Order: sequence, then C-alpha cells, then structure tokens
Amino acid sequence: MTRWRNSQDRYGIIAQGFHWLVAALVLAQFALGLYAADLPLSLARLQWLSRHKALGLGVLALVLLRLGWRALDRAPALPDSMPAWERRAARATHRLLYALLVLAALAGWLYASAAGLSVDWFGLFRVPDLVAKNAQLAMLFKDAHKALVALFALLLLVHVGAALRHVRLTRDGVMYRMLPWNPAGKR
Amino acid sequence: MRCALVLLLAFASAPASAGQCYTVNAASGSVSFSVDQAGAPFQGSFRSFGGTVCVDGDAVTRIDVWLDPASVDSGLPELDAALKGADFFATDKYPRVTFTSASVQSRGDLRQAEGTLEIKGTRRQIGIPFRLAGAAVKRTVSGAFTLNRLDYAIGTGEWSNTKWLGAEVKVEFKAALVGH
Repeated sequence: MTRWRNSQDRYGIIAQGFHWLVAALVLAQFALGLYAADLPLSLARLQWLSRHKALGLGVLALVLLRLGWRALDRAPALPDSMPAWERRAARATHRLLYALLVLAALAGWLYASAAGLSVDWFGLFRVPDLVAKNAQLAMLFKDAHKALVALFALLLLVHVGAALRHVRLTRDGVMYRMLPWNPAGKR
Repeated sequence: MRCALVLLLAFASAPASAGQCYTVNAASGSVSFSVDQAGAPFQGSFRSFGGTVCVDGDAVTRIDVWLDPASVDSGLPELDAALKGADFFATDKYPRVTFTSASVQSRGDLRQAEGTLEIKGTRRQIGIPFRLAGAAVKRTVSGAFTLNRLDYAIGTGEWSNTKWLGAEVKVEFKAALVGH
C-alpha cells in the first residue's frame, strides 16, 4: 500500500508523482528540443521552440517544488546490502541530476532572454527576462544549455542503468520503491 | 574672387521657399521595431536610413526619408537572412523603404506628417506623429507609429499567421538633423 508520504522503504505517492511527471516532461523536452533545433527558420520552428521554452520553465518550477517537497519528506534510506561506495554514488548522481535539471533550464531561460525571444507562458502570462538582449551572451547561453543538457543525458543513462541493475543484478528491490505498484513477492 | 565664392555658396545652399533643409544623421539615431513573436514582443532595428527634412520658420515643409531593409539587425543572423528574403522585405527586388510627406500639421509640440509610405512595392497613405526638438543647427526628430505588416505583405505564406507573428509592428525612430 503506497502512502502519500515516503515510508522507510518506499517513496510516497507525492514523491513518485514528482519523479514520473518530471521524467515524462523531460523526455518530451528532449524530443521537442532536438526536433526544433534542427528545423530551418520557419513557423514550425517558432511554434515548437516556443512550446519547448514554456514547457522547460514549467519543468523548472516543478523541479523546485520537488526539491522543496524532498526537503520536507526525507527519501527512504538505501538498503544496508548496498556497499558504501554505491550509496555514495547514488546520492551524488541524484544531487547532480537535480542540479543539472535546474541549471539546464536556467541556461535555456537565459538563452531565450539574451536572444530577445521572451516567453509567453502558454498564452497565460509573460515570463520575465533574466538578462537584456545581447547577441554574444545568447551564443554563450546557447552553448551552456546544450552542454548542460548533454551532461544531464549522460547522467540519466547512468541513473537508468543503475536502476535496471537493481532489478536484474542485485535484485534488492531498490527500483520498485519508485514504482506506484508493488510487484508481488518482490521488495 | 573670394567674394564671388561666398556669394555662390550662399545661393547654392539657400533654395528658394523650402527654408532650411537638414540631412537625417543615421549614425546618431535609430529606427527600431517591435513585433510579437509567440505572444511576447521582439525587438530589432535598421542600421541604414537617411533622408531630408526641410523647415521654414516653425513649419516643416518637406520630409523625404528612406531606409534600407537589408540593414535589418534583429540580433539573430538567421532571422536577419529570412527578413531579407521573399517572404518578408524581398530586399533584392525592393531595396528601399521610403516615406514622402504631402503635408505636415503642427499641434503644439507634436506634429503629424501625412504622406506616402512605400514598403515592398506597396504604397499607402499614412500619418506619422513626430516631434522636432532643438533649433538652428542642432535639431533632432523622433516619433513612433504602428503599422500592420500584412498591409505591405511583410510576412507572407506561413508567416501571415498572426497568432505566432503579430500583425502590428510598432516603429520608433529618432535621429539628429544636420543642417546643409
């Protein structure tokens, strides 16, 4: 039975909701960003990049909320069966994933601001610019956004690989703690 | 001899009834535009513009100004290239935007020039409000007006979608006038 809050050996509904919602949106962001970046200058590119920017700012807000919730609701401890280095690696990876999520989004926001392409959030409100329009800065933030996203993608592979390793190799139930259902006979 | 030269210069620089004519100095001025992209305003400017403004007493008697749309600077090189292309200014075919006044009214500090604006081969009668500051050799002109880009076929094809690229374009200009 999954509860709202984290228990000692499972993530609660709220932590899981944040995790999977952010995961789905980030995957959508990869698809949108990669697709739109390669389009020639066109209406389609303006449309898809505008959606990418608005969605990215949504993800940023969600990640900040998630970090707030994480501070209130402690993550379940990793099992003692995991060697100390693995636990350290897991903690470091999680922290870096959070940091990169925030930084990649901020770099994207800075890029949009410096390029003079402000964001109107799905027609609801104008998002403030972080810096004034500046072509040189725009190039810098564009490169920073791409580098941070590439680093995030690399770390995401490590994260998914490690989760699958807990399912296939160590079979210690660590990945199931983040799944909404409780696979029978497994912990 | 010297006297004759002075006389000649005096005649050359004082055309009968137009009063004093000035050249628009682009280096000290700017022509910028603002148009909504995806719901948020986007700014750019034109680097190359010029023309003549004639003043007689307090009345502006003539305005003849131009702008090179190929000098557009949006801060995004890719966009600049597109703006010079056929969907927007088609600068190969229409290298100049011009405005020629037919009449200029004065309402206190604010003036209103009625005249012909030609963009991309389309001529339309419009009114442009502006201010003239300073006196004698140090004058500046400034103003702002709004036009509908679709009236001049700026942004054809898919770019005529005004939800993503606004129809209204706000133009702001200011420049020093250099006496002849």
